[in-house]
Amino acid sequence: MDKKKNGFHRFIGAALGNPRTQNVTIPLFAILIALLVGAIVLLALGKNPFGAYYNLLQGSGLAPKASYAGHKSMLTDFTSFLSYLTPMIFAALAVAVALRSGLFNIGVSGQMLAAGFIASITVGYSALPAPVAKPLVVLIGLAAGAAVGGVIGLLKYRFNINEVVSSIMLNYILQYVCSFFINTYFVNPVSRQSQPVSAASRLTLMDTVVGDLKMDIPLGIVLALIVVALVKFLLDKTKFGYEMKAVGFSNSASRYAGIHVGKSIVLTMVISGALAGLAGVTYYLGYFGSIQPRTLCDTGFDAIAVSLLGNSNPVGIIFSSFLITLIDKGSTYMSSTAGVQAEIADVITGVILLFCACTAYIKYRVARMEEKEENR
Amino acid sequence: MNTVIIDGLSFALPLFIMAIGGIYSEKSGVTNLALEGLQGFGAFTGALAAVLVAGNFAGNSSIPFYIAMLFSVIGGMLFSLIHALLCIRFRANMVISGVVINILAMAMTSFLTKQINAAVFGAASDKFVLGVSNRITVPGISAIPVLGAVFTNVYPFEIVIVVVALAAWFVMYKTKFGLHLRACGDNPHAVDAAGVEVGRVRLAAVMVSGALSGLGGICFAYSISANFSNAIYVGYGYLAIAALIFGNWKILPTLGACLLFGFARSGGYRIVQLLAMPSSYQDLVMILPYVLTLFLLIFFSKHNRSPRALGVIYDKGAR
Repeated sequence: MDKKKNGFHRFIGAALGNPRTQNVTIPLFAILIALLVGAIVLLALGKNPFGAYYNLLQGSGLAPKASYAGHKSMLTDFTSFLSYLTPMIFAALAVAVALRSGLFNIGVSGQMLAAGFIASITVGYSALPAPVAKPLVVLIGLAAGAAVGGVIGLLKYRFNINEVVSSIMLNYILQYVCSFFINTYFVNPVSRQSQPVSAASRLTLMDTVVGDLKMDIPLGIVLALIVVALVKFLLDKTKFGYEMKAVGFSNSASRYAGIHVGKSIVLTMVISGALAGLAGVTYYLGYFGSIQPRTLCDTGFDAIAVSLLGNSNPVGIIFSSFLITLIDKGSTYMSSTAGVQAEIADVITGVILLFCACTAYIKYRVARMEEKEENR
Repeated sequence: MNTVIIDGLSFALPLFIMAIGGIYSEKSGVTNLALEGLQGFGAFTGALAAVLVAGNFAGNSSIPFYIAMLFSVIGGMLFSLIHALLCIRFRANMVISGVVINILAMAMTSFLTKQINAAVFGAASDKFVLGVSNRITVPGISAIPVLGAVFTNVYPFEIVIVVVALAAWFVMYKTKFGLHLRACGDNPHAVDAAGVEVGRVRLAAVMVSGALSGLGGICFAYSISANFSNAIYVGYGYLAIAALIFGNWKILPTLGACLLFGFARSGGYRIVQLLAMPSSYQDLVMILPYVLTLFLLIFFSKHNRSPRALGVIYDKGAR
């Protein structure tokens, strides 16, 4: 028995002990545990966990379904998945950039809505041709998001208003103001949503005929990958990225070092807001095509967790967004095929995040365990 | 005017009790963004208890409501233990822990509500129907103009909240425990040196915040929504956090902030009604409390000071 336990310790130590790979191994460990928890719940409900998990992959276009409707295939499912993934990557980047400076941008959803709404009413309802409209949508999204983010930064810098409070207030204000304008001027009486935007302004090419398939081609995903590289460069290779990190570690130390902390805070929030704006336009003018009044999307809040799972690292965020979106998007298909409530997917996501939040403790325990092994 | 006061109070008081919970937690040094999830989970356990026992009582009985209240407090407290475990024992980042708990609470309650509805009641529904709690009018005093409105059509939970809030105020400012708690948020090392365990005080504080959030949650479920569903997660918890920061982490100013939210909200609705504006104008009026808060914060935030050790994990060895 003792020997067996020893072996288990050694296995854990080998798997999680290397500090250089811990940033990857511990999230993987969290995912494994969460999938186990999910499997136990599924078993308790009398369902086959492997079947249910396979359904998740099928729903996201990563595994073939038993049958497809006309003009649909695994590939069309996958491009639709990518279209849904794009805003999540941007939103998680927005959170990560703010976190680097020690700021907590809980207003990503509000910034997304502002960007999506302004881009919709200016370009989305215009007759501009696609080559003009699409870049314009992206630029307007950037600007609108940056403006809202900048206001939050400015309120913090000038008036010492906690960014969590001001973001929450702005979330509500934006939500109701947009809802007012949509319900008064732009509502579609049938769907109770805003009028759909023009096809020319959509960042996802809907129902494009390729061969005998009709697929949604998300242009935003290309932009997202480019932006990931840019943000990584900004954070790791530029002076400003270094300043952000310094401000995040210690406000007062950075001030002594001659960093203009106020400017850094405002600029960080502008960048974070701009990224959230990109998330907004790829969400409201990409995957969807209209705005539902009186609701903020969950993406902005889930992004906080996705960013955490990806260690607030731009490259890590690609993987964590991929995983969380997979579970989210695949859950509808799983629910209809396996007869499980789609909400189980959210529970699995929640458990993943719960264990990720314990990263520091897991690191500490593993280190302690190894010490004991050595002393023996 | 009377409806403004009546509706304003019934919104402000549940918010206030949640904010007091938040003050307890944050004054002890534990950042608590989890209020939103805690109130939702508390409301869930309370609603579940009420729905389960409802069959044993007459339709208009208020006993299920009190059972719901009790269980919401227990549920909120139990769920807050996760936050305590993560923040105190596991040294997790407190902000992140709070967000994770919100996500987990929302996922678990939606899943369980559907599952229990299907398994126990054999219905495909995503909510527990509760109805609206009875109201009380105090005879005599309620006839006084304006002020009387405070005693008219009062939900019983409002009285409970006032009593609990008074007790919470007393414990926080007049007892030894309250002193320790406030010290934990400003100078935990001094508390440790005085022979009190910081972790234990913080644990108690987080549990209080869970209990009070649960209480606030069930009150919203029994008044505004009249059921428990996902709709409980509309940001009451976040609003309570805003109120307590606005109130500078003190109980009385926080009451002021909550009343401001409540009256601006009910006043706005009333204006829309009086001027017979189309209902979409409600949205425009709804921004009043938030704009007002931002505006007031611009003037008052200069002196805002969070507890010094807020969000800092207590490390005995650090100096």
